[in-house]
Amino acid sequence: LDFLDDVRRMNKRQLYYQVLNFGMIVSSALMIWKGLMVVTGSESPIVVVLSGSMEPAFHRGDLLFLTNRIEDPIRVGEIVVFRIEGREIPIVHRVLKIHEKQNGDIKFLTKGDNNAVDDRGLYKQGQHWLEKKDVVGRARGFVPYIGIVTILMNDYPKFKYAVLFLLGLFVLVHRE
Amino acid sequence: QWKIDDKPVKIDKWDGSAVKNSLDDSAKKVLLEKYKYVENFRLIDGRLIICTISCLFAIVALIWDYLHPFPESKPVLAFCVVSYPLQILPWLYQKEKSIFLVAHRKDPAGMDPDDVWQLSSSLKRFDDKYTLKVTFISGKTKQQREAEFTKSIAKFFDNNGTLVMEAYEPEVSKLHDSLALERKTK
Repeated sequence: LDFLDDVRRMNKRQLYYQVLNFGMIVSSALMIWKGLMVVTGSESPIVVVLSGSMEPAFHRGDLLFLTNRIEDPIRVGEIVVFRIEGREIPIVHRVLKIHEKQNGDIKFLTKGDNNAVDDRGLYKQGQHWLEKKDVVGRARGFVPYIGIVTILMNDYPKFKYAVLFLLGLFVLVHRE
Repeated sequence: QWKIDDKPVKIDKWDGSAVKNSLDDSAKKVLLEKYKYVENFRLIDGRLIICTISCLFAIVALIWDYLHPFPESKPVLAFCVVSYPLQILPWLYQKEKSIFLVAHRKDPAGMDPDDVWQLSSSLKRFDDKYTLKVTFISGKTKQQREAEFTKSIAKFFDNNGTLVMEAYEPEVSKLHDSLALERKTK
């Protein structure tokens, strides 16, 4: 257990500092994520494309950057990320039709580029349109393939916990 | 046995930060154990407190966002996110100064204010030259004097990466004594 030697020589303050170091890294990551949320206006500013329903534009594993500014109206042809009420997983599809009221309220219909039918089959029982409240954000930019890591970590949670555990251990034990 | 304070320090001689840390720690030991100075934890405690508060801000942001889902939490989040880097800045600046020990020497007669000794060091990346600087601040006259040496770390570590105190301790003591002596002759 040689790698623990540094830790064994630490006094109380140094041990607390190691824990704090770990906390600072987690806090920084958290603050960057929350910061992105504030700046983009979206509760999930970065999402991973999970299916091939938007090929050839997006592929499984692509990373999308979203904004959700109220000032930007949703228009037909735009790619939006939305959540169906009661379901956790966001869907990335294109807007097909919009009904817009004078006051700005909208009802819109979506469809995946690579799907044969529109998304009505995915919506809730009896729901035929989506509304602004269902929107997580609009795609503004993307990076290909990088999201595959996220998909792997979700499909194999043990892998995710192992990686996080090892990273955490490394930060706690290693002196700067 | 958990604590290994008495065993000789053995590190990876190619790991620059481990080398610097062990040299710093041992210089600390010389001042605290040989000369019996008392460590002043204010500097270190200050750093710990700043970092703890920053983490608290992050935790507050997390909990607030959980209780009042976005977008209602926007103002609180914005506040936490902006103030977080502002708090880290003083901490980062502190690290730049690289002082790793502030110690006091109490006046044996109990009349004059404490003399303050500071240790700071630097070891550039991939370089073998270690610089140790001792700063003495007289409690009585508030005058400040410093002395430093720059030596190759090869002078203090053997081939296995074990710190040889017989080679290092005299250097530290010499540096210390050069400042203490000046004081006595004045």
